[in-house]
Amino acid sequence: MSGLDNIGVKVVNPLPIQEDGLSGNADAILHEIVALLEAFTATGQTGAIDLHSLPLTPDDYELLRATLADGEVHAQINAIGNTEVRETLYPGVWWVTYYNVEGDIVADLLEITAIPEILKAPADDIREGLVHLRELLTQLEQP
Amino acid sequence: MDLLQFARGPTLTWAFAIFAFGMTWRLVGILLLKRRPDYSEPRNATSWPGAIKLIISRSWPHREFIQRTAFGQTLGYIFHIGLVIVVFGFAPHILVFKGLTGLDWPNLPNAIIYASGAITLGALIVVLGRRLIHPVLRLLSNFDDYFSWFVTFAPVATGMLAVAHLGARYETLLAIHILSVALLLVWFPFGKLMHAALVFVSRGSTGALFERKGASI
Amino acid sequence: MNEPDTLGASLARTGISRRSFLKFCTAMASLMALPPSAAYAMADALNRAQRQSVIWLSFQECTGCVESLTRSFDPTLEQLIFEMISLDYQETLQAASGEAAESAREQAMKASYGKYLLIVDGSIPTKDGGVYSTVAGVSNHDLLVEAARGAAAIVAVGTCSSFGGIPHANPNPTGAVSVADLIRDKPIMNVPGCPPIPSVIAGVLAYFVTYGKLPELDHLGRPKVFFADTIHDRCYRRPFYEQGKFAKTFDDEGARNGWCLYELGCKGPTTYNACATIKWNGGVSFPIESGHGCLGCSEPDFWDKGSFYKPLAVPLADNTPTITAAALGGAAVGTVAAVISRTHQTHIGEEK
Repeated sequence: MSGLDNIGVKVVNPLPIQEDGLSGNADAILHEIVALLEAFTATGQTGAIDLHSLPLTPDDYELLRATLADGEVHAQINAIGNTEVRETLYPGVWWVTYYNVEGDIVADLLEITAIPEILKAPADDIREGLVHLRELLTQLEQP
Repeated sequence: MDLLQFARGPTLTWAFAIFAFGMTWRLVGILLLKRRPDYSEPRNATSWPGAIKLIISRSWPHREFIQRTAFGQTLGYIFHIGLVIVVFGFAPHILVFKGLTGLDWPNLPNAIIYASGAITLGALIVVLGRRLIHPVLRLLSNFDDYFSWFVTFAPVATGMLAVAHLGARYETLLAIHILSVALLLVWFPFGKLMHAALVFVSRGSTGALFERKGASI
Repeated sequence: MNEPDTLGASLARTGISRRSFLKFCTAMASLMALPPSAAYAMADALNRAQRQSVIWLSFQECTGCVESLTRSFDPTLEQLIFEMISLDYQETLQAASGEAAESAREQAMKASYGKYLLIVDGSIPTKDGGVYSTVAGVSNHDLLVEAARGAAAIVAVGTCSSFGGIPHANPNPTGAVSVADLIRDKPIMNVPGCPPIPSVIAGVLAYFVTYGKLPELDHLGRPKVFFADTIHDRCYRRPFYEQGKFAKTFDDEGARNGWCLYELGCKGPTTYNACATIKWNGGVSFPIESGHGCLGCSEPDFWDKGSFYKPLAVPLADNTPTITAAALGGAAVGTVAAVISRTHQTHIGEEK
């Protein structure tokens, strides 16, 4: 990738951008978060927004980051690459970013839920872990 | 072979061939015609300056006729100039000429081309409307008039649709645009569109004759 | 088989965590513009599903399509595809060879008759009884017809199997044809490209394994989710096209500034593929971003549509000889007409 950086490429964003660099899609996402939070508080229905589903300018991302900010929780998952799970300033609104082993983003989501599914330990994994731990303890207890 | 390959391939080959054949046939045939011998004394040594002068002076009506003809003349200039800007200023068109002749020239920004094309379409529609409404024009108009209008209008309209990616898949729009240009080329030497070349022949010969006779131009 | 051959069981065996698998499904759902909730449906369905049996037949091809799939940018993420399916036959990747491999294929076809997914790359030669490409003495044509009989659906990976590809190009000495030219009674999905983008191959397989049917296809049998837009529609250099700023030669001032490559023969406007959005090598770049125009490699007959460096606006043939001949012919006919007229005029004049 080093050689590619020297090539003079001027990238012009084809989105209709206003003067402040925003496209209006960040605002749309913030409003959708409100709608999903309302649905969650009323019926418990979880929701998610795929940030790759709408074209966003760098300024849009900045607006989202600045508005949502950081909350109390920051978790990292190490499963074929890193996954960053951050609760935003608004409880129940989680920013989940999936990276592959080379550090590229493969998915970027906002989840509206009490806790993102990916953080929960799957029931089958728990059962298997139990079996392994039992076996380990049995081995250790043998003289 | 899909429609676009057909349009860019055999269709254009035949259209260029018929255009070249038709243009040379008519021009050579007309220019080699026998002219009536003029036995009068020439009033000027050379007559070709008169040809040039008349071509230029007939480009705008005489004072007496302006009131009646200005509207039509202006409309005509609008769409002729519009066509020149679109045909010779748009980058992909310049590529076609470069492929045929080797000549290249700088292109105009696309925004100017699109505006020009839209104005040309508007002017052509007004021209057609006038021809249909004006009683004398309607009386005089024949198939040649309407068909020549159509083969001029179609390439501009289909070209605008193609750049706007409007109405069908792009490859289909481009193919239809190229086919419409082929139709224009095939009709050109055989109808009233031939005025593009012949206007200079007729005005030139009239002007030369006037100059020889010493008439005012 | 002692354990159920479900995907969940095979994941456990290979030590891939369920979280990793959920992450993979989320990435696939995002890639295919499915709603985020589809990721859970995918993970759930795949976890409980019997591993989809897949027979991969390679015909008259260069193996670029298999290389593309296996040289994917994320070795572990895309390899999950091979966990979702039971790849019962693939000549390049399998360990077995010779008669052992052939009998393994026949066994798999019999065991999963009517349910296996048949993947084909490479065109099928038909001239001279199809002798130009054979496996174990059997022509590709016969192999395809036999394998298609028990297939639930057929996926033609790459432009060769989708449309004929390079072998099909003029003069097509082997009589190469596409899968769709030979098989009429099975659902066929074309995933063209020379080669196709690896994520595209992985995505459509994931879709089929999850939902049990082919995604929505366009008029050329390509999945709309990846082939609905042209390169031109999503190209980052589009603003330059709109402004009329074109590179005239490679490496000139315009090229260095990243201007549109239309004049250098880019076929982006007539090519449907996901290169401009998903890109190649893990999103690093795609041909136009690297300074070369699109070849149109996911379209039929792209080898026969004129030079890669001839712009779309320019006629395909070299018309100069035709035009010259026509002009000379016209001049000749015009001269004849003029001579006849002049003779006639002289005649009339003399009569007086």
